[in-house]
Amino acid sequence: MSNLRLWINQNMGVLLSVCIFALVYGLYSFLHPSGGTGKIFIQNSNETFVLIMVAMAQTVPVLTGGLDLSVGAVMTMSNALASVVVNGSPAEIFFGMFLCVAVSAFAGFMNGCIIVYGRLQPIIVTLATGAVYIGIALFLRPTPGGKVDGDLSFAATFDLNEIFLTYGWDIPKWFEGSIGLIPTPMAILVLIVVVIWIPFRSSVTGRGCYAIGSAEGAAYMSGLNVGRSRIAAYTLAGLFAGIGGLYLALQTGSGNADVPQAGAYTLNSIAAVVIGGSSLYGGAGGVIGSIFGAMALRSISFNFRVFDADGPFGFISDPLLQPLFEGTILLIAVSVGAARVFQVKNRLKLFG
Amino acid sequence: MSFISKTSFAALALGAGLVFGGQAMAGPEIVKGPGANPKCFAPWSKDIKYFQWKKHKAPYRVAVVNGFVGNTWRIQMIQTAKAYVETPDIKPLIKEFKVVSTGTDAAAQLGAIEDFINQGFDAIVTIAVSPTGFDRAIRIADRNDVVLVPFDNILDTDKVMMVNQDQLEMGRMAGRFLMEHVGKSGKLLEVRGLPGNSVDRDRHLGFREIAEAAGNKYEIIEVVGNWDDGHAQKASADALAVHGKFDGVYVQGGSTGTVRAFMDAGHKFVPVAGEGENGFRKLVAKHKGEGLVAQSAAQSPGLVAISIKAALSALEGNVMPQMISVPIPFVETDDMKDGVNFWSDLTDNFFAANEFPPCDINITAVEIMAQTKDDQK
Repeated sequence: MSNLRLWINQNMGVLLSVCIFALVYGLYSFLHPSGGTGKIFIQNSNETFVLIMVAMAQTVPVLTGGLDLSVGAVMTMSNALASVVVNGSPAEIFFGMFLCVAVSAFAGFMNGCIIVYGRLQPIIVTLATGAVYIGIALFLRPTPGGKVDGDLSFAATFDLNEIFLTYGWDIPKWFEGSIGLIPTPMAILVLIVVVIWIPFRSSVTGRGCYAIGSAEGAAYMSGLNVGRSRIAAYTLAGLFAGIGGLYLALQTGSGNADVPQAGAYTLNSIAAVVIGGSSLYGGAGGVIGSIFGAMALRSISFNFRVFDADGPFGFISDPLLQPLFEGTILLIAVSVGAARVFQVKNRLKLFG
Repeated sequence: MSFISKTSFAALALGAGLVFGGQAMAGPEIVKGPGANPKCFAPWSKDIKYFQWKKHKAPYRVAVVNGFVGNTWRIQMIQTAKAYVETPDIKPLIKEFKVVSTGTDAAAQLGAIEDFINQGFDAIVTIAVSPTGFDRAIRIADRNDVVLVPFDNILDTDKVMMVNQDQLEMGRMAGRFLMEHVGKSGKLLEVRGLPGNSVDRDRHLGFREIAEAAGNKYEIIEVVGNWDDGHAQKASADALAVHGKFDGVYVQGGSTGTVRAFMDAGHKFVPVAGEGENGFRKLVAKHKGEGLVAQSAAQSPGLVAISIKAALSALEGNVMPQMISVPIPFVETDDMKDGVNFWSDLTDNFFAANEFPPCDINITAVEIMAQTKDDQK
């Protein structure tokens, strides 16, 4: 098998999710009067970023063959905490942001410890701890509101140039017309993937997560530290979800311990993971697929805003039929993402 | 990223920079009142601000960004909006009309609002999923001179034009009605709504303000009915079992259930101040000969029509109050007419209160229901 073929085979899940995203988002961009311009990219990446982070959070436990029902709750807890601590002097803001992410990672760590040392099912543990984290969020923020630093809020939700404009720094010439146009959330995303995910995946602990997901017994017999990998997976989930919640606080300039919203994020994260080509049985996939899965999922509803109600497909944009079409397209996307599993004779093939 | 045009970026950066400096480029000017059509667009209080946008050229592009969808009230709201923009007065003013429901996700709702602004819509009417978090959307709307109108679930800010009904006043109306029909003393049943909600709190406070005023001697029994027929019926039945007899009832929602509970218990009919459910009005019409007197005042899904009307008025350059108090649509026993303000052939869940005479808005049930049929072509 040639190298290219091998690569395509190994990354089929990601490639399919990229195709679904390109199709759905391409249609939206084509129909949108200012589709493909900077401001639309900024807007779209803002509204997608939190879901991307929560989907990334969900991916890591799924790789180990588990499921984390608390990702939405951790995101909400981080969001509520951010509305209390992310303001004041620059040092306080920095410490506040660090605290949000650290507390969320600790929440994930707790999940992992209870699962590993309590020898309980991840789905039950995270259902319970999720309720605890929502409780903490409601305690921190009983009514929506709070304060998040306005400058930081604006800087984080535009493009990279905006960071310079906000704080009154000079934009370097080489930077302004090229890198500076990248939406800030996308830059943060790339940073997270490069600094956190890629090193984790290539570490022994990270590869251990894949190993546990595909054959836990074999992983154990090969001398891998199964407990450590599993705890690391849930901790990383907490960390990613925490970054998502922090960003939501920056985006809305406030916090809201919104229980239905937390539930919706958890469910959507699972859908994004499946569209992204990760196997819910564990052992195959990765966060890159989930990123595109989340983007594809969000892009479906973008289209309702641009479909011409009087056009031949106007019935799709009917407000009362939107959930039906969204569900149908989601079902198709999920099926495409999972279809390749049916074709293989041996599931080991999925790993190349 | 060569496909991003340089000019659009420059404009964006410039806009963002200016907004940062605290000088909003556009958006409404704060002016002196009174505003246009004050009977319909009544200012919330005397010291409310007034806004004036620069005149936009008709016809307009208008979007409704709904959050949660899935209960009768929201569905009827969407159908009312679609029916309203088809009425002869409004149709010529509308070039394009879109409705989206984003679910309970704040990021998605903010994204949808921003998207319509970026598409060049003139006005966006919305039921906010959260009372905070819209600062960015408001800033961007102002920068692009888009009229953003939150209604029903409104925002904790005075930077945007909003439309709602005065919930305190609705509570007071119920109190006054019961005082008139029960007298100044007696045993009242108060069936409250969803705990923790500001609407429940305000209606309760308004009601108590009247009922507990000096000179009144009521014994008030309070139960929770969650604005839902099933809950209200059970809570009322329990209260009847314990207390035996009441002289009057204020039910915030689920009025049909409460009246049924009284009928099931064999209690004689007493004055009832309730919501605007079709089922409630049907029962009143049927049993008014047997002594049932009622007031039916409602938080109407028709608020969306007034919000659209307010947005259009703002686009025409009229002076508008920052916070609009919509007249409360209500009818009493003898005003209830089949086919006019209730419909015996429609379900009990239908919200019958859709008439706002000061605003020339009365979207009939037939028009609202017709909207459904049209879409299934």
